Amino acid sequence: MIVGIPKGLLYCRYQSFLDTFFYELGAEIITSPDTNKEILNAGVKYCIDEACLPVKIYHGHVASIKDKCDMIAIPRIMQLREREFICPKFCGLPEMVVSSIPDMPRTTMAPIYAMSKDRLYAWAKKTGSMVTHDTGRIKRALDSAIHEQQRFKGGIKDEGFRLNIALTGHPYNLYDSFINMNIVKKLNKLGVGVITEEYADESIIDDQVKKLYKKPFWSFARNSYGFAVHSAQSKAVDGIIYISSFACGIDSVVIELIKDKTDDFPFMVIKLDEHTGEAGLDTRVEAFVDMLERTR
Amino acid sequence: MYYLGVDVGSVSTDLALIDKDMNLIDSLYLRTKGRPINAIQEGLKLLKDKNSNMEIAAAGTTGSGRHIASTIIGADIIKNEITAHAVAALEIDRDVKTILEIGGQDSKIIILRNGVVTDFAMNTVCAAGTGSFLDRQAERLEIPIEEFGDYALKANTSVRIAGRCAVFAESDMIHKQQLGYNDSEIIRGLCEAMVRNYLNNVGKGKEIVPKVFFQGGVAANKGIKAAFENALGFEVIVPKNHGMMGAIGAAIIARDAVAKTGRTKFKGFDLTDSKLVSTSFECDGCSNKCEVVRINENENIIGYLGDRCGKWSNKIAI
Repeated sequence: MIVGIPKGLLYCRYQSFLDTFFYELGAEIITSPDTNKEILNAGVKYCIDEACLPVKIYHGHVASIKDKCDMIAIPRIMQLREREFICPKFCGLPEMVVSSIPDMPRTTMAPIYAMSKDRLYAWAKKTGSMVTHDTGRIKRALDSAIHEQQRFKGGIKDEGFRLNIALTGHPYNLYDSFINMNIVKKLNKLGVGVITEEYADESIIDDQVKKLYKKPFWSFARNSYGFAVHSAQSKAVDGIIYISSFACGIDSVVIELIKDKTDDFPFMVIKLDEHTGEAGLDTRVEAFVDMLERTR
Repeated sequence: MYYLGVDVGSVSTDLALIDKDMNLIDSLYLRTKGRPINAIQEGLKLLKDKNSNMEIAAAGTTGSGRHIASTIIGADIIKNEITAHAVAALEIDRDVKTILEIGGQDSKIIILRNGVVTDFAMNTVCAAGTGSFLDRQAERLEIPIEEFGDYALKANTSVRIAGRCAVFAESDMIHKQQLGYNDSEIIRGLCEAMVRNYLNNVGKGKEIVPKVFFQGGVAANKGIKAAFENALGFEVIVPKNHGMMGAIGAAIIARDAVAKTGRTKFKGFDLTDSKLVSTSFECDGCSNKCEVVRINENENIIGYLGDRCGKWSNKIAI
């Protein structure tokens, strides 16, 4: 049994979990390549037009492996924390993909509620049974997957740069160097170090979020907001760059919330869409760095 | 001893020549017409013909085509447009606090305090509310873009036109024309729509305080200037060389850079006689499949642009 795992959306964060789970079930795993032009083109071709760029790219990842595997793992991530949700596009991701891409192999459909092991087991049982009927093995695979995921530490924390910025936004925009046109490397080249939310303590984020008049509904919003506002108020960095995909509803709210709390602290939003010309991004990044240098 | 600034934008290519006291000796405004190399070469040729025996002590490039421009002329600095515009404005007046800049494909706002850029914003993926949009509408109305501003000022009333999207603005405009509004009223409506879009989009959340400079090619349009003043409630200053500010800024920054390095990398005017050819190819070194542009001067390859990894562009030290 060959299980295909698309390298799009939250794979960047839950790679250890997904890979380990299917490996321990005894499946052979193939993943799609890193995002590239063909994947982008296929994604734009297959996906419904209104979706955001990362969802389109996810479709491209699926298309690139669908003919090479017996089933595709499309995580339907519903909830990562109690009383918080993630973007509705994740909730409908399997349906969206299956209805848009022709000749799909079997796909996983079970929802993921990642707040507790019990609730994760509900997903594991349904999903695992597509590969094996050995429930003991499924349980063990889930244990290993959780264990591996806990050891995983993503994120970026550069050291030794003259200037530093907090890079924030949805992880799949931050860690896909094709969609964000290698922004981290570009910043490093200009002498700017990058730090991401993974290096901020949960408690710091909680402290910031508590000050909001209402608890954020979205998990991504909570992280980006808490990290950005903390970075600005503690002056731990010289500026903040928020990477946002065009037409993202969550970003449109979070960006305003951050602006509201950070006053004059240097803050720039980079909007991503299907562009592959880099002139627009270069201009913004260079000008932002010039500004940080001069105001320092 | 002169300093050269080249601003290669989407719509126009501007060349500015300044002396050591920052006087603008000569300037050229050319349409890029999607062929930046030709525009640069033609610009240099015109400059050479008009100013014989001049010596260029430093050269700088800016604009979205700044990298290709640098490859061709040999620039001492390659600077983004935000910094170039700010530097040029501050040279005229240290007290400027806001710069509104509207170019062909992008628009920006730059906030300065005490002579330093403290904030800026550019339009996002949408090009509504930029010069290209006005160009297109002028064409549709068969009115030369140069006369657009005068038409707008003639109107006593204005008609509201949706300004958030260039395509919607056009259909809204057509509907208003069909209702019988005349050209002046439509154009004034367009100017106001553009300013409204600019202030609500690019200028959103920015503290716009005087002195305000209005720069870029669109600043020539009196209708837009009037609409800005109307919306903001105070005077908006259009500097004399508003369309050249990017190029002037690049020249100033180049001057300062050469003051440190000692000598310029400018290749001289001989290249106006060279045959410059650009060819593009898709690099198959990896799955990124970058579109790489190769620029040849006569038989020699003088530069590569467009590769993400630097495999090609690092081959030739510019």
